Amino acid sequence: MSTQPWLAVRKELAPRRRLVLGVLSFVIPLVIWSLVSYVPFIWHPDVKITDPGAVSYFQKGMLIDHDIFERESKKVQAKGEAVPHGIPANPIYLPAPHQVAKAMYTAFTTPPQRRGEKWLHQSLGDSISVIALGFFISSLIGVPLGILAGTYDALSRLNEPFIEFFRYLPAPAFGALAVAVLGINEAPKIAIIFIGTFFQQVLVVSNTTRKLDPALLEAAVTLGAKRMSLLFRVVIPGVVVDLYKDMRILLGWAWTYLIVAEMIGASSGITWFITQQARYKNFPNVYAAIIMIGIIGLSTDLFLAWLGRRIFPWQRGAAA
Amino acid sequence: MNMKQSHIELPSYLDQSDAVRERFERLKKRPVILNVRGLGKQFDSSQGPVTALRGIDFDVHRREFVCVIGPSGCGKSTLIRIVAGLETHTEGEVLLDGKAVNGPGPDRGMVFQGYTLFPWLTVKKNVMFGLEVSGRGGLPEEEALQWIDLVGLSKFVDAYPHQLSGGMKQRVAIARALANQPRILLMDEPFGALDAQTRARMQTYLMEIWKNIDVTILFITHDLDEAVFLADRVLVLKANPGEVQEVIEVPVPHPRIPDQLLSPEFLATRARLEELIHPPQEEQNRLSEDHLNMVRMVPVDDEVADVF
Repeated sequence: MSTQPWLAVRKELAPRRRLVLGVLSFVIPLVIWSLVSYVPFIWHPDVKITDPGAVSYFQKGMLIDHDIFERESKKVQAKGEAVPHGIPANPIYLPAPHQVAKAMYTAFTTPPQRRGEKWLHQSLGDSISVIALGFFISSLIGVPLGILAGTYDALSRLNEPFIEFFRYLPAPAFGALAVAVLGINEAPKIAIIFIGTFFQQVLVVSNTTRKLDPALLEAAVTLGAKRMSLLFRVVIPGVVVDLYKDMRILLGWAWTYLIVAEMIGASSGITWFITQQARYKNFPNVYAAIIMIGIIGLSTDLFLAWLGRRIFPWQRGAAA
Repeated sequence: MNMKQSHIELPSYLDQSDAVRERFERLKKRPVILNVRGLGKQFDSSQGPVTALRGIDFDVHRREFVCVIGPSGCGKSTLIRIVAGLETHTEGEVLLDGKAVNGPGPDRGMVFQGYTLFPWLTVKKNVMFGLEVSGRGGLPEEEALQWIDLVGLSKFVDAYPHQLSGGMKQRVAIARALANQPRILLMDEPFGALDAQTRARMQTYLMEIWKNIDVTILFITHDLDEAVFLADRVLVLKANPGEVQEVIEVPVPHPRIPDQLLSPEFLATRARLEELIHPPQEEQNRLSEDHLNMVRMVPVDDEVADVF
């Protein structure tokens, strides 16, 4: 049996190969990062001082630009004084993988720098609750409205032109307004997530609803289905699988509005944590927090995909 | 096919044996279920009004099997969709048991060419759908199981449609339509998407069901053999505009079995349909239009120089 080439146009690879490549997609960036971090002659534009020598402003552990280090070394050498020593290093904003890995743990155990500031797990909790509430409130109104607009042309005409207009208004633009109306705490942040999600949601849901095979509706009416049974027994179950997929994508979009939402009013949540840690030049924590957002996002989506396969057993195969 | 048939002396398709003639006499005394009077449909297109159907008249008697056949574009699908209430007509009327049809309803079951089973429901739930939405009393589940048994899919009651083959899906669709006990069963090229073997098997199934159940069938097809094999009468339409060309009483005796496909009555009826749907002079035209400009592209000294 001949094996399929690795690059075959629109042909699915064997499961083993798919798995290998999937793992590689994470391993490759990690390897590049490690090379840049651990191999001294790759990049490393700075010098980490191990012995300041006679240079007055050098300190042990200080990071200094390579050219400046050379210049200062030559100066003191010319005067016959003690030469500084140092090892090649990367800038402070690029921590090595092991530092970030350690930070993934220590970020949780390090107490806040100032009183009144929050622990990392509290910040993450705040972020997740803002996302969840914003998305939930949006879906509570957006999904039924979208389904109705996708089912009845009258409702579509009544809603969609305005929504089509409104979705071009950038959600962050409503930040100041949201604070003025809703105060500085959680509420305006939830409002931003809502504004960012809702208008897209109605349009996406109504579009998906319109994609229902009209033959199913015809079959249903010849079997005696009327208005309500048509809506609840055919339209909704007919599109629910696709709507579920839409929700997963929309939830991803909601995360992108989180950053904006958390900047307005009283800063809080994971965004605030990241900004604060960058201010303290604690970059391993910054990377750790960014990676955590990724992990939370991806694992939520994988969980929802798995859940979807369980709730909708009629789905063909494992199409995600 | 045409050429070969013309060599054999066939009886006229109008000749009926005594048994067949007597059966048709009895059939015509049965009550009329569906009555189509002067039916016409016009619609507006960018090139002005188009007449899809004009002056269609026919009756379907109780437990009769009527096939509608015609060239593509003759409006046969439009006709059955109007009867089903899925499309509107502009002239004439459609009467079911003497009452004008207005919109779709469970008294006219329909089986479509595309598989229209609800993918989110199991076979059993699909068959129960009509019983549940029409809110008829009784036990929907028990009834559904009976219908599923009738189409021989008892083993698959809990399967989802995507787990079934095309033929099985259409059997469920038939059971689902029959469960409502419609006055008439409308079938729009229901076996069109099936392979030849499955299609033949489905035709035999359908004959069995039709024999045993009180059901009247109006069946659209473009397959001449299928029409002759299944129908009591064949309604032949012509295109542009869609009009009734002839109503043929099929002289092939009942019960129908696949062996009859080569009987003289069968071949005579089929030849007549062929004549009506593909008129000889048109055949000539088409051949000249379709003539391919062939050039030999295999070298004479090739290893396989000739296919013969």
